[in-house]
Parts: sequence; structure tokens; C-alpha cells
Amino acid sequence: MVSGGILLDLVERVGGAVVGSIVEVPVAGADPAVIERWCERSGHRLLSVEGGTARILRGPVPDDEAILSSVPADRRPGARLWIYTNFDCNLACDYCCAKSSPQTERRAIGPELIERLVEEGVSSGVSEVFLTGGEPFLLPDLDQIVSACVKRAPTTLLTNGMLFRGRRLELLRSMPREGLALQISLDSATPDLHDRHRGRGTWQRALDGIRTAVAEGFRVRVAATVAADESGAAESAAFHRLLDEVRIDRDDQVIRPIAQRGFAEDGVALTVESLIPEVTVTADGVFWHPVAADHEDQLVTRDLFPLGDAIEEVQRRFADYRRETDAAAQRFTCA
Amino acid sequence: MSKPLLIGAVAYTPNVVPIWEGFRDYFADGPVETDFVLFSNYGRQVDALLDGVVDIAWNTNLAWVRTVLQTDGKCRALAMRDNDLAFQTVFAARAGSGFADLSDLRGRRVALGSRDSAQAAILPVQYLREAGLGDDEVELVRLDSDLGKHGDTGRSELDAIRVLLDEDADAVALGANTWKALAADELMSDALEAFWTSPEYCHCNFTALETLDPDVYEPWVEHLLAMSWDDPELRPLMELEGLERKWVRPDLDGYASLFKAVEDQRIPARW
Repeated sequence: MVSGGILLDLVERVGGAVVGSIVEVPVAGADPAVIERWCERSGHRLLSVEGGTARILRGPVPDDEAILSSVPADRRPGARLWIYTNFDCNLACDYCCAKSSPQTERRAIGPELIERLVEEGVSSGVSEVFLTGGEPFLLPDLDQIVSACVKRAPTTLLTNGMLFRGRRLELLRSMPREGLALQISLDSATPDLHDRHRGRGTWQRALDGIRTAVAEGFRVRVAATVAADESGAAESAAFHRLLDEVRIDRDDQVIRPIAQRGFAEDGVALTVESLIPEVTVTADGVFWHPVAADHEDQLVTRDLFPLGDAIEEVQRRFADYRRETDAAAQRFTCA
Repeated sequence: MSKPLLIGAVAYTPNVVPIWEGFRDYFADGPVETDFVLFSNYGRQVDALLDGVVDIAWNTNLAWVRTVLQTDGKCRALAMRDNDLAFQTVFAARAGSGFADLSDLRGRRVALGSRDSAQAAILPVQYLREAGLGDDEVELVRLDSDLGKHGDTGRSELDAIRVLLDEDADAVALGANTWKALAADELMSDALEAFWTSPEYCHCNFTALETLDPDVYEPWVEHLLAMSWDDPELRPLMELEGLERKWVRPDLDGYASLFKAVEDQRIPARW
């Protein structure tokens, strides 16, 4: 048979396979460039040619835009922009994914760069901004930062809520109520669990902070970070009862697992392949997700600008991971 | 309408499941709820249409002709793919064969696809006759590999090409879609060359009986035509179904050549 026979095999085997499956075709002696070109023209993807066998992802292979649109708009990579305003913190929580503490170097980005980041982010599709740290209320210019963000996109400011006194209370009071939500951490309905991870007396001070912020007219979201063995139904019910009492909307009562990052020895393992990315900027670079903003394995680029390029890179990588995992799911079906 | 509109389609590849599930999901947001039933062959599907088991059948051109003949024309084509308007048959030979026209096939062996394939068997026989070749002047090698599916799998055409490449035939007739799928013009030019391409004719369409209420099928067709190639969620579905870019209203003149071929060749009405 002349060289065309390989194309007949490709059309028959790949064309007859289920979309998204990986098809192995014997191609001994065939020119890999011909196989590659045929895949390109036919909308399939050549994965490898090894040992006389071609492995081909049966198309149509969804393009990046189709994959991104399969994620709800508010979670689509690039919709949320996280900014680590600083890394130092008044607390040293034992599970902190950013390894923040009073001894941690500040590594602040500063209001000017943050304003530019948000401006560029919004023009690249960012629809929501999250400011986190460290503890942002340690920054004397936090009001400028918040104001610059709120002008451009709905903004959430994450804080432990323990510093609302004196000058910092005035800082809080100067912030806009519209377009800004405060997210305050409180890990349990009673002091024990919260104080075990965050330090003695911190639960009461955080709860006081929540009451202060609510009284000042801010929208307050309360987030609990809990280990798997601490998140029983009774604990959850008590937690919700407490937050109902301090007038936190049910939609703003969030319980999430500890991430296995930073100081945490246990927790949910998070990788770039398993996380839907949420573009995260620190003074050191752009990262895949806020739970790993201090980790080289989730570094996207050291260049903060242009931010649009980093967002596009995150979206492109996410689409690649999705295509790979979809193909892997086809290989490992159990029934 | 209390019950969903039921579409019949033939399961010629496992990918018809995601195609029609995609359709069902798309129509769930539209004016007419739609569901589907899969058949193993077009004969069974047309029977189901005539019996009222399905409301609309996604028919090949031969299944359309069969429906028209069995209903005395009391049926209508609702819509088709853009490339169904301009389907073609290609005659190819081994590179360097020197054929320039169908008349060059006098006394030669021509490999055809399944005998129920309009593009790879029925129309090619008609083209040979129109070129002045009597049935005893060309030896036909029939590869009936996917009977019942009207050539949809393309399998019989690939088998016919294998026969050609093995030098057990001098030429092959196949649908332009299979020729395109092989990328033969670019990647098989050392082995194959197309030497004659047919006039354009129509291929598949959505077929309904005359009794289907226009208040049902018109909004259904409008919603079908509104499917956008630029919608990232719909595009993979449309690509999988083989559209060039869009759904269109049918052009019934494009079936004239097949009606004539079916009559001349006395193709059974129940294929």
C-alpha cells in the first residue's frame, strides 16, 4: 500500500471515536509531520508519536474562549483580581497560607501601583477586586488604596477585624460604604477553636470588630477557616446562629476548609491543575491563586505590568489544563 | 405543547449523543422544547416519521427522497446545514492515472461506497450514465460496509479508496466531505488525485410530515436558524454536526438529480 494508507486509518479510527477521547493509531513508518498536519486540518490534536503509535485527542478541541465560557462569569479566570496589599500581620495564625506574622516583612505594593493594577485589570475584564494580606489595616494609607479600588470595581477588603480602634477606626470610618464589603475571619461560634489557631483572646476581639463594622454601616462577610475534623454540623449550626445574631446576611456567612499551604501542615491539597485560577498580585509577582501567593509553583510572572498579559497567560494555561483533565477523565472512566 | 417535539436521528457515530443532547439543551431555552430518539438505520427512522413516532427526522438526501415518495409529497423540509446546499461527489484515481473525464473510465473498474449512499454510489452511477457509459461498460466494485446508514459513516468510501490504492480498482467515487476529511488534496497528492467533481446537490435536511402544525415548527426553525457560530458554547456542537457556519432554509431544487437517479436506477422506496 502506498503512503496514503495512514490517512485512511486516521480518518477511520479518529473520526469514529468519541469527541474528547484519546485515540491510539499504529503509524509505523509514517511521517509525523503528515499526521500533525492532518490533525491540524481536521480539528484534532496530535499528542505524541512514540514507538510506532500516534496518540491523538479527538476533536473538535474546544478553544480557550469556549472553555472559559463554561465557567460561571463571576468565577471565570480573570474576573476576580486579588491584591496582597502587604504580608505583615498582627497575628501569627498556624494555618496562614501566606505565612504572615508580626515578624514577616511588609512587602507592600503601595497605593499608586495598586491603582494602576486595578485600572489595567478592569480594562482586561476584572469585575471584582479583593484586597488581602497580611493585615491590610496595618497600612497607614489603606484608605487611599480602598478608595482607588472602589472607584473602579466592587471591592472586598479582608481583615481580621481586630484593629478597629483609635487611628485605625478613623481609617475604617473614612472608607466608602457603597461598593465595599469587609470580609472578617471568625473560625468558630465559641472562642476555643478560633483561639487555638489564632491566639488567646482573638475570637472576642474579632467578634467585637464584626459588631463595630456592622454598626458603622458596612456590608460584612464573615469567613470561617476550619479543619475537616472541626467542621461538624453542630458547629456549623452554632456558627450560623451567632452570625445571625450579629446581623450578618446568610449569603455572607462563609465556611471554607484549611488549604495545605503556608504554615498549614494539613488541609486541602491545592495545585494549579485543581484550582480555578483567581489572578493574584503581590509585590513579588502575579500568582495563580490567593492561597498560594508565596509559592513558586504558582507564580505566573514576576512582571506586574502589563497586567493584561498576565491575565491572558492565566486564562491560556487554565484552558490547557481543562483540555488535559477532560481527556484524562475520558481515560479513567469507571463504568 | 405539552409534549416535547421529538427529533429522530441515526446513530452512525457515538458522537451523535453529545450532538443531540446539545440540541436538547439549546432548545430547552427556546420556544419549543425538544427531545430526540436515535435509530440504527434510516429505513427505521423514516418508518417512525410516517408512523408519527417522531415529529421531525434528521434525514439524508436519500431518506428525504424516500419520505417524499412514500407520502406522495405530503411532507416538508424545514432546514438544512449551509453545506448541505452544495454537496458534491468526487471521482479520484491513483496519482498519474491520466484520467481527465468520466468517459475515460470506459472499460475500467470503479469502486463505489455503500449502495444506499447517494454521494458514493447512487449519484456516481447516474454521473457515469450521463457521461455516456453504459452499465456494461464500467465494472462497479461495491463496498457495502455501512448499509442502512446511507454512507454517513464514510467507512465504505475509505474501503473503496483502499481497494483503489491496492490497485483492485482504477477509480473511486466518494463524497466531497470524505475527500476533505482525508485532506487528500494536500496530504495524499502523491497517491491520489481528483479528476472529476460533480455539480452541487443537496444532502441532509430536517423532514416533517405535512400534518405538523406550523405554529410548532416555525418557531422551532427560527430558533434553529438563530444558532450562532460565534457562540463559544454552541460552536463545538455545530462543528461536530458538520456545519460550515450556519443553519439555512432548504433548497428543494437541489434534490432533483437524486430523484431522477432513484427513478432511473429503480432504487427501492424503502431503503
